[in-house]
Amino acid sequence: MKKFISALLCVSGISFASMIGVDALGEEQIAGGSAAMAGRGFAGNAKTGDVEGVSVVNPARQAFDTKVVLNLNFLLGVTTASRSSSSFTTTNISMPSMNLSFPMGDFGTFGVSLWQHYASSIREDIHNEKEKWDAEIEYQSSLYELVPTYAIRLPFLRMVSLGASAHFVMGSFTRNLTLGPDNSEISQKDAWATNNSTVSDYVNGDWEIKNHPAYYTFAAQYRGRMASYFFSVTTPYTLQNDLEYNFRFSETDTLAPTRIMREIRVPAMLATGVNYRFNKRHNVMVDVAWRAWDRDIENVAGSWNMSQVTKTQNDFNISLGYQRDGSDVFYDAYWDRMVYRAGLWYKNWYVEDVSEFGGSIGIGLPLGRKGMMLDLAIQGGARLTDDDRNWSESFFGIRLGLVGVGSWGKTRGQ
Amino acid sequence: MKTKKLLFLPLLALFISSCSFDMDDEGLSRWLSDQGMPSSYKVQTVTVSNLKPISAEVLQDSQPLNAYARGMFGAANGMSIDAVFDFSIDSAFTARMKKTDSVKSSLILRMVESLYKSKFLPLDFFPIEEELKLNVSWILSEKLSQKEWNKLENINDSVWLYELESWKTKKKADTMISVSVGRNDSLVLDMPSALISDIRKNAGYRRLQLRLSAPEASNIYRFYGPSIYFPRFHIEDLGGNGDYVTYNAYRSASIPKNRETCSDCLVLHSAVFDSLVVEFPSEPIMKALSDFYGDEFPYTKGDSNDVRQAVVMAEMTFFRDDSKGSSEFDFPIMLETGSYVDSVGVAVFKSENYRLDRPRINESGHPNMVFHDGDSLALQVTAGMRDLINRGGDGRSFKIVMRLGSSVVLDKDSSATYRVVTERDTIEYDNGGKIVVDKGDTLDVFFAEHDYARYDFTSIKNKPATLKLWLASKRGQETDKKETVKKDSTASAKTEGKKVATSTAREGK
Repeated sequence: MKKFISALLCVSGISFASMIGVDALGEEQIAGGSAAMAGRGFAGNAKTGDVEGVSVVNPARQAFDTKVVLNLNFLLGVTTASRSSSSFTTTNISMPSMNLSFPMGDFGTFGVSLWQHYASSIREDIHNEKEKWDAEIEYQSSLYELVPTYAIRLPFLRMVSLGASAHFVMGSFTRNLTLGPDNSEISQKDAWATNNSTVSDYVNGDWEIKNHPAYYTFAAQYRGRMASYFFSVTTPYTLQNDLEYNFRFSETDTLAPTRIMREIRVPAMLATGVNYRFNKRHNVMVDVAWRAWDRDIENVAGSWNMSQVTKTQNDFNISLGYQRDGSDVFYDAYWDRMVYRAGLWYKNWYVEDVSEFGGSIGIGLPLGRKGMMLDLAIQGGARLTDDDRNWSESFFGIRLGLVGVGSWGKTRGQ
Repeated sequence: MKTKKLLFLPLLALFISSCSFDMDDEGLSRWLSDQGMPSSYKVQTVTVSNLKPISAEVLQDSQPLNAYARGMFGAANGMSIDAVFDFSIDSAFTARMKKTDSVKSSLILRMVESLYKSKFLPLDFFPIEEELKLNVSWILSEKLSQKEWNKLENINDSVWLYELESWKTKKKADTMISVSVGRNDSLVLDMPSALISDIRKNAGYRRLQLRLSAPEASNIYRFYGPSIYFPRFHIEDLGGNGDYVTYNAYRSASIPKNRETCSDCLVLHSAVFDSLVVEFPSEPIMKALSDFYGDEFPYTKGDSNDVRQAVVMAEMTFFRDDSKGSSEFDFPIMLETGSYVDSVGVAVFKSENYRLDRPRINESGHPNMVFHDGDSLALQVTAGMRDLINRGGDGRSFKIVMRLGSSVVLDKDSSATYRVVTERDTIEYDNGGKIVVDKGDTLDVFFAEHDYARYDFTSIKNKPATLKLWLASKRGQETDKKETVKKDSTASAKTEGKKVATSTAREGK
């Protein structure tokens, strides 16, 4: 099942576009990559409401929800990587997460999220007219997490909730580098032997957690009249990437692969955030998440002159956001029922010397009377690096979130 | 309505953004190089000379072949082939006959047109005339019920072929037949009178299996099998009013027999599945690779599967002496090569692909042919070498299999299977044949029929072979820095074959 889901999601070309850290873990999709969160700069894990849904950073939040929420998120991204005078652009479509939360009144709220936590995706053909060579490069890595969450409000302290989630990791990694021959070192008389001989340096494997089925997040949330807070701890874990390295002449003509297991120790994450509500429908929010990486990440590498490790640094994410909630009275003017969002973030990547800043604006468009919502966010920013391997990037993306709301189990008049 | 319009926004934005950025291949290849990845693989060659086999063995084929479409009988070049036919006969006709000695029985075989009407045959190929000493043996079954007799048609061919391996003749008779084959259609072989006497004596519904054997013949005759043209058993009453009956063979088979006398010789026959298995030690190959890369060979770390480099092409060159061989049609014969490679822990036979070295073929013909100018034989063994280097950690040796394959009509033509003629021309063949071709004609590279040739490979045992490898390596600068000796591209040709440590350093593009 795990393999099936990850294969399905990979085949449909779902992933993000950054080229930084492709040989390590790839790009991290923070805060579950939801369009609503993205619209306010990935802040607002502390924001509670009727239909806020699952938060992978703060599983305690959903205890305050009253309605069933189904949320699907899409991302259309364009990334331009550049270094001195060279640049190139990749375009990607991905589905970072889908979430379902199911409040059960006094019995708490159960939720589940399928979250593409880390991914890298490149698939490009290169044609060099001048030197007459063709190459193909492909990176498809997708580290998915199936995250069941449960949260409950304390019976004696109703403004406080506790939540926990388990992150079951799955996914696959593929790197394929298909190259043509360079005959410059052999005599012209011998060149016939390599006609149409493309060779692929092929690596593929699975993701899982070492010695454990999952890693866990525990959170506590306080909801006040004006201000809400949360604090969460995510346990450290070791990712295991079981890789097969091969030389391929075609899909059926390969060598016996050699298997190498790489292990990536991901440190514990601490996250906290505050949401302050004023004038009824206006919110400002700040979120911080922090991880202290104490080890470098072993790269896939395995060949050519690729670097064996990706050096890490303490990674943190500071987000600042604003949201004006829409009116839930359906006969109000449409613009008044809309949700408006804006935000900024600064993120220190897990990759050494890579920092990202970005900004976003978003709107939530109510669809019909039943609380269905289409969230739209436009984001842009830059990832800065002074490293030769990792080129600086500018990115632009459009996120789309579909929120379906249902009041299951409730009858008219309740 | 409003919301529908809004749905188009992201798509529009994506479209605009993807147009506004220029996709730059140059940029991507620079990125690759910054990641330490190449944009092409460097090809290097390593030559290992003086390879002597540990063992060499001929595996002879004596399995009955299904002659469903075509079959053969006769003898040539150290082998003979018997033909067996399966008929169902009844006694209705023989009961009407007056005397046995006025009856003539014969076997009528339609000759294979692609051979006997071929325009590529040597000028002196016809006429084929000989006094054929034919040994006819047969098995006439017990009396069958009509139901059983009707079921004879349904016997599975493979069951019959299996039974033929233990053929137990009940009766036999020798006969001399004067055979003359030109570009005619059929061959009529008169059967000995003992056969018809036996049939007359044993009335009723019966099965007749008839075997022809002519070990002293000087030709091999090819005939069509039941799927194309039924071999027929014909009985004619000469004493009566020309009354006759004809039975069609349900099935036919050819059974080859090797008649070579030298037990130490490595003699291969073509057109049958004879094969020569030659085993080479891995040590000299590993030593040469180790000297070349400066790494440990065979690779024994981890699961011992070596994927540090890939063999793009491997070619093994043997000494060749055609003088001890003989063939029917005088065409060069191409060798088919195979290797034993690992498949989930089991060594399986794998046919080697043949890649065309076009400049060389156009100049001097295919390098993997015998009965041709020159004294060397170059066989491609890429799959076998890939396996050896990839899985060599377990100490396996290198085993190749060779078989005589098709006869080559256009020996200096590098077309894969055929060529379309572009202008009117007269084509002369190696064997003296000559044809006129016109624009648009199709010329086959290979002859349609297999040649029952013999070839003596005994020299493989004591004349060393040379192996040439074309390699693609994944090694980076970091791994082989200590051993590297920079060399320029012009020097590489000269240093081939010598044991040199060579740089695999890539210059960033």
